Amino acid sequence: MKSLLYALALSTALTVPAMARPVTLTTNMNSYGGDGAYLALYVTDAQGAYQGSLWLAGGKSKYYTHLSDWYRATQGNPAEINGITGASVGAGRQLKITLDLADSLFDAGYELHIDASVEDMRDSPSEVVVPLTTQGMGQPVPGRRYIRDFTYDM
Amino acid sequence: MKKYLIAATFVTGLAGLGTMGMALADDDDCRVPMADWQPRDAVQNMAEAQGWTVRRIKTDDGCYEIKGRDAQGREIEVKIDPGTLAIVEMEYDDDDDDDDDRGGRDRNQTPTGTGQPPANGLFVPGSKPGAVVQ
Repeated sequence: MKSLLYALALSTALTVPAMARPVTLTTNMNSYGGDGAYLALYVTDAQGAYQGSLWLAGGKSKYYTHLSDWYRATQGNPAEINGITGASVGAGRQLKITLDLADSLFDAGYELHIDASVEDMRDSPSEVVVPLTTQGMGQPVPGRRYIRDFTYDM
Repeated sequence: MKKYLIAATFVTGLAGLGTMGMALADDDDCRVPMADWQPRDAVQNMAEAQGWTVRRIKTDDGCYEIKGRDAQGREIEVKIDPGTLAIVEMEYDDDDDDDDDRGGRDRNQTPTGTGQPPANGLFVPGSKPGAVVQ
C-alpha cells in the first residue's frame, strides 16, 4: 500500500508540471473616468475561433451582451463561465487572475482576447489580443480604450 | 409650405414615439402562452440539476424567477423561460438592489479560488482559478 502511494506521488509529481502551467494574468485599467468595467478574457485559435473563457469580470449577465465578441461566440451561455466570474474592475484598478492553464495553449497559435465594456461608454470588443507564447511572457501589451496594459506571466 | 412643415413634424413625432417604444421594450421579458408553461416542479428539478439551492420560485415579467444559491454558494437570481426552461438572465446577487446599476464593483466580489472552472480544455482539471482586484 505504501509503495503504491509512493508510486502515485511520484507519477503525479512527474506528470502534473508537464501538463500544467501556473499563469498570472494582470490587467491594469486606465483612469477612464467611468463605472467599473466588465471584462471577458477568452482564448481563440489562430483562425479566431473561440476555444473557451478564462475569466469574466462583472456580476450581471444582462450586461454581457456588451462584451460583444465574447457574446457572439458564446451567446452568453452561463456554462462557459461557471466558476470563473468575479467583480467588475474599477478605473485605475488592477485585476490579477491566477490559474493553472494547459501547457498546450502556449506556442501553438492560440490568442488571448479581452473584451471590455463600461456603462454609458463605448463597448470595446477585443481591446487586447495577444498571442500566447513563452516569449511573450512578462511583456506588457497596451489596450485601446479602458485597459492601460495587460501582462501574462508565470 | 406651412402644411408641409406640420405634416413633417407630425411624421417625425410619430417616428420618434415608435423609437421610444422600442427603447422601452425590455429584452429580458418572456412571452410564452400560459398553456405552454412547464410546471414549477420542472423548474425546481432544472435548478437542482445545475447544483443550485432554491429559496424561492416566483414569476416576474412573464418568466419564472429563481432566487437561491449556486453550487459555489453565491446568491443568485435567475430568470427562466417558462416554456423551454432556458436561462434568460442570471445575476449574482449582492446588496445592490438597483437593477440598472452595473457599478457595485466591490459589492459583488466573487469568492476567489472556490469555484471549479468549466471543462473547456484550457484549465488543468481540478485547478481553482482565483482573482483579486487591487
